[in-house]
Amino acid sequence: MKRKILAGMLVCLTFVVFLVPPAMAKDPYVIGFSMAMTGRGSGIYAPIKDAFDLYFKEINAGGGINGHPVKILIQDNAAQPSKAAAQAKKFVTQDKAILLMNAALSSTFAPMIKVAKRYKVPIFFAGSVCPKEVYPPNPDPMQFCSTGFAAKYDSRFALSFIKEQSKEPINLGLVAMNIPVSRGEIDFAEELSKSMGIKVSDKEAIPPPTPDYTPFATKLKSAGANWVYSWAPWVTEVKTLEALRKLRWKGKYLAFAHIQAEEELARLKDDNFYVFGTNAFFSDDLEIHKAIKEASLKEKTIYPHTKLVEGWIAAMVLEEILKKVSWPPTPEKVRVAMGKVKAETKGLRGGSLIWTKDNHFRTINYYRVYKWDSAQNKIVTVKDWTPLEVK
Amino acid sequence: MQVIVNIVVLGSLYCLICCGYVLIYRASRVLNLAHGEIMSLGAYFLFTVAMSVGSHPALSFICAILMSLVLGLIIYQFLMRFMAGESAFAAVLVTIAMGILLRGLTTLIWTSQDWYPLQYLGIENASHLLMGDGVISTFGIIAVVSFVVIYACLFTSFKFTRWGLRMRAVGENPLFASQRGIRLHRYYAVSWALASFSAGVAGMIQACDSGLNPGMFHIGLKAFPVVVVAGLDSLAGVIPAAFIVALVEILAINYISPQASEVAPFVVLLGMLLIRPWGLFGTKEEIERV
Repeated sequence: MKRKILAGMLVCLTFVVFLVPPAMAKDPYVIGFSMAMTGRGSGIYAPIKDAFDLYFKEINAGGGINGHPVKILIQDNAAQPSKAAAQAKKFVTQDKAILLMNAALSSTFAPMIKVAKRYKVPIFFAGSVCPKEVYPPNPDPMQFCSTGFAAKYDSRFALSFIKEQSKEPINLGLVAMNIPVSRGEIDFAEELSKSMGIKVSDKEAIPPPTPDYTPFATKLKSAGANWVYSWAPWVTEVKTLEALRKLRWKGKYLAFAHIQAEEELARLKDDNFYVFGTNAFFSDDLEIHKAIKEASLKEKTIYPHTKLVEGWIAAMVLEEILKKVSWPPTPEKVRVAMGKVKAETKGLRGGSLIWTKDNHFRTINYYRVYKWDSAQNKIVTVKDWTPLEVK
Repeated sequence: MQVIVNIVVLGSLYCLICCGYVLIYRASRVLNLAHGEIMSLGAYFLFTVAMSVGSHPALSFICAILMSLVLGLIIYQFLMRFMAGESAFAAVLVTIAMGILLRGLTTLIWTSQDWYPLQYLGIENASHLLMGDGVISTFGIIAVVSFVVIYACLFTSFKFTRWGLRMRAVGENPLFASQRGIRLHRYYAVSWALASFSAGVAGMIQACDSGLNPGMFHIGLKAFPVVVVAGLDSLAGVIPAAFIVALVEILAINYISPQASEVAPFVVLLGMLLIRPWGLFGTKEEIERV
């Protein structure tokens, strides 16, 4: 009899241990993030991983979202479309991800969007340039974007800033990298300049593997540009400026503030180098900046804290989305939640990031301009948050 | 004047980069497609030394140059040595694999960030006024001087020294050279070390002039048409080829479109392949054999 009882207890124990799922374990929200941690452009995408690791480590330590941890599956696509496609498919079919994320060159977009549409999983661009399908008034229902830089909007602000700053006639030089997105924006800026009465004296679309930027700078200088505006990856923006300075060009230079901008302003110490962007610099010393810096130093992140803001904002937006997704989560619930997001950015941007049913980009884009001030030996704000309505 | 300065600086940089391609090909008939990665490693060595050893520029450069030389020796001793006697195609594939490995290691060790060795070296890349309003940067001058010095040393050594004669013998007929008691592996290793050294110098100059990131290896690949135009086994051919490509590239920027500069070297390359497939000073038989 004793033997029978013992055997019965063993069977029960086996059942409890191996067959019944642990009652206390919480299933996570699974997010599939395909990112260019290596390869072309990885300098601006790779720090996003650091930001996500820090942000969700803290969230999960505090009990997760709606009582469930968040599991971010990050894989390196090396900026290769085929890798991004394979990863997206794996995330959706094997890992059962409820949301796909992308931070890589635009060449990786199409294959990921194809997977997203096929499996009806929304896709969130966080750090990569926003595809035009997220813009109002008829955005693609599956695509959303939180990235700071935005084609067709950035140049509107940039040119109005240049016009506002100049007391003398403007001879504008334009600089792009010879990739479709940058060239397209600079072509747009050229058209816009004409309509604003700004004379464009030269336009350069510089190929990415360029050993020497001086020949391009020579043309800009010879054309008599007194202002140069560049909307391109940071490498092109800053190397063109440095080449111009080597040629003893004394004009003013405006570039989009990518994540490297704050460190680079301090390195170059150039009073006539202006950067405009959507993210607040650490020189503002906000509470949120202190928190990011502290977390970065504590966890010894690979990238410095000044490069984590873009990723941090995307993580804030993701948290806001997941808060609205009740358990059990499904891609459809996530998609619905993404259609009505209001993410508080705590000063990292000029205002909240709002997505609506007909705007998957943001309703208002806030811009700020910074530069180095030699007199004060620090970075200063030249123009405070300026809203630009996105219709 | 500025256009001429730009051509001279770009041509000099191409000469420095392409020297390594030719040295290795000439000695061992291996086309090293990891040359761009070796070039960027030279720059990373300088950055690392400048950051860790201190800000003494000359010492940092010497250490980084020595490290580049050793890198070439290590690559030969532990990898390419085993390809001796194998088909040229197999050796090229090995260099491609090595390039991928070096790129991965570079990102793992130094991350994808942009680095500026000059910040740590404590020197400035000042600009200097030339005649006719031309301007050249300090590292532009260093590129030109390095090209002249390195090529002068190489030509003199090949012509007048015993090891130079042996290097040429190894390149021209390894079997006979071996029968005459010349240790082939020793001279192959020297050619890899010299190639790594010249590529490293090019990388260091490039990094000091305009910064450093893992994408720098593309510049090594961009210089490749120069080698084919020169003739794969002709060091003397590299000089005119580099300046022709630089001239066409800069004229394209000035008179056609900036985007045209991307294809200009390849237009020259195609033209050369149509007219003289073995290059300006290359050996006709060699290119046919490959």
